[in-house]
Amino acid sequence: MFSKRMMAIVGVIVLIAVSVIILSINSKRRYTSYGMGGVALTLVAPFQEIVTDVIRFSRDIWQHYFMLVTTSQENVHLRRELRQAREHKHRQDEIELSNARMRSLLGFRETTAQRLVAAEVIGKDPSPWFKTIVIDKGLQDGVAKGLPVVMPEGVVGLVTNAAHHYATVLLLIDQNSAIDALAQDTRARGIIEGEPAGHCRFKYVLRKYDIKIGEIAIASGLDGVFPKGFRIGYVSEVVKPNAGIFQEVTVTPYIDFEKLEEVFVVLDRPLRAPADKP
Amino acid sequence: MIYFIYIAICLGMVILQTSVMTYLPMFDRFYDLIALFVIYLGLFRPVRESVLLIVFVSVVMDTLSGGPFGLYLTTYGWIYVGVVWMGRFMRVGNWLLLPAVMAAGVVIQNMIFIVTVTMLIPDAQMPTKVLRSVTTQVLWAVVTGPLLLTLFSYAHQRWDQWKADLFGERNGLI
Repeated sequence: MFSKRMMAIVGVIVLIAVSVIILSINSKRRYTSYGMGGVALTLVAPFQEIVTDVIRFSRDIWQHYFMLVTTSQENVHLRRELRQAREHKHRQDEIELSNARMRSLLGFRETTAQRLVAAEVIGKDPSPWFKTIVIDKGLQDGVAKGLPVVMPEGVVGLVTNAAHHYATVLLLIDQNSAIDALAQDTRARGIIEGEPAGHCRFKYVLRKYDIKIGEIAIASGLDGVFPKGFRIGYVSEVVKPNAGIFQEVTVTPYIDFEKLEEVFVVLDRPLRAPADKP
Repeated sequence: MIYFIYIAICLGMVILQTSVMTYLPMFDRFYDLIALFVIYLGLFRPVRESVLLIVFVSVVMDTLSGGPFGLYLTTYGWIYVGVVWMGRFMRVGNWLLLPAVMAAGVVIQNMIFIVTVTMLIPDAQMPTKVLRSVTTQVLWAVVTGPLLLTLFSYAHQRWDQWKADLFGERNGLI
């Protein structure tokens, strides 16, 4: 009744339709692995951990024993920096104490006392199109889906999948990442989204704010995920188009995601922070 | 037995790609090694031996990646269908055609990824960095792909030979 050629054409059309339907459905239900996420992580992550440990061990041997000349020079430089840092820290301690007093006076909730768990990065996303990492802490360590991941330098991302001993983290620079943010000086509010080039877009920032290049972007805490005040990046480009109510702001993250080796998972979900009045 | 070896090879490639190559800046824009293995299966191995393995490794990749679930399944599925279809018209293992097959495989994969990213984020911009990344992947695939495919094929032939000799000897003894 139907020729072989006809059957092949119909088959290809059906395959294309099935592919589009599957991807459309799963695009709307992001981070759903139908229970297989934990199994695959448990299968692959232990080997990733072993390989990563071996690589780092070899690298550490090289760095600690064969590069002592450079280390000696670096040591002198670091000692000088340490003296400056100590002095700086002393000033910071004073500010922190005065800030604590002010907070208690104003009845502000303590936002920085978070329970953290340190984790090592043991694997990265197999595709260059998406930005995720695998860490060596999971459900057993208190890590769960939706928890924020940070570094002293700033926000790293969000846990999207957790197995018993391992978890996957969606990085800030992934195109699907979005954080409610504030510009630190102007208090302009917007959403910071990742971009494939490794920068972030600070969207929905009203034109009326005079944002300067170099201004720090921080988490607003309003998304109920990232603790308020955590640094995200600095403003590297501001474009005010002739039309429209928003300006185009580019933010460069403080974290060097290519060299990320350790991260902290914040175990306490922050309460929603009060919105700053513009 | 062959499935265990295939799974071990695939998991080895996944680990190589996600944990080892990230430390080597030279391979920053290397193509997906599993795609290479799918192309190998499509060109050199029978369908009944390949399909289950492709589904398995696709699920592993889908769960490790930040993309929507099913993206790798779709990608590898189409690469496999494309390669099997091409295999009907070309002589398998032709040295001149292998680079073209590899390039086609990498392009198919990146095209599906671009379409999916566009579907996820309609206003997503494709910077020149992404296009440069695709070009570099294709160049890597054209240069190293045929060598690796031939290596896989040779290793498999040796394995078959070794197995035949082993079982032949055993049968002879019995």
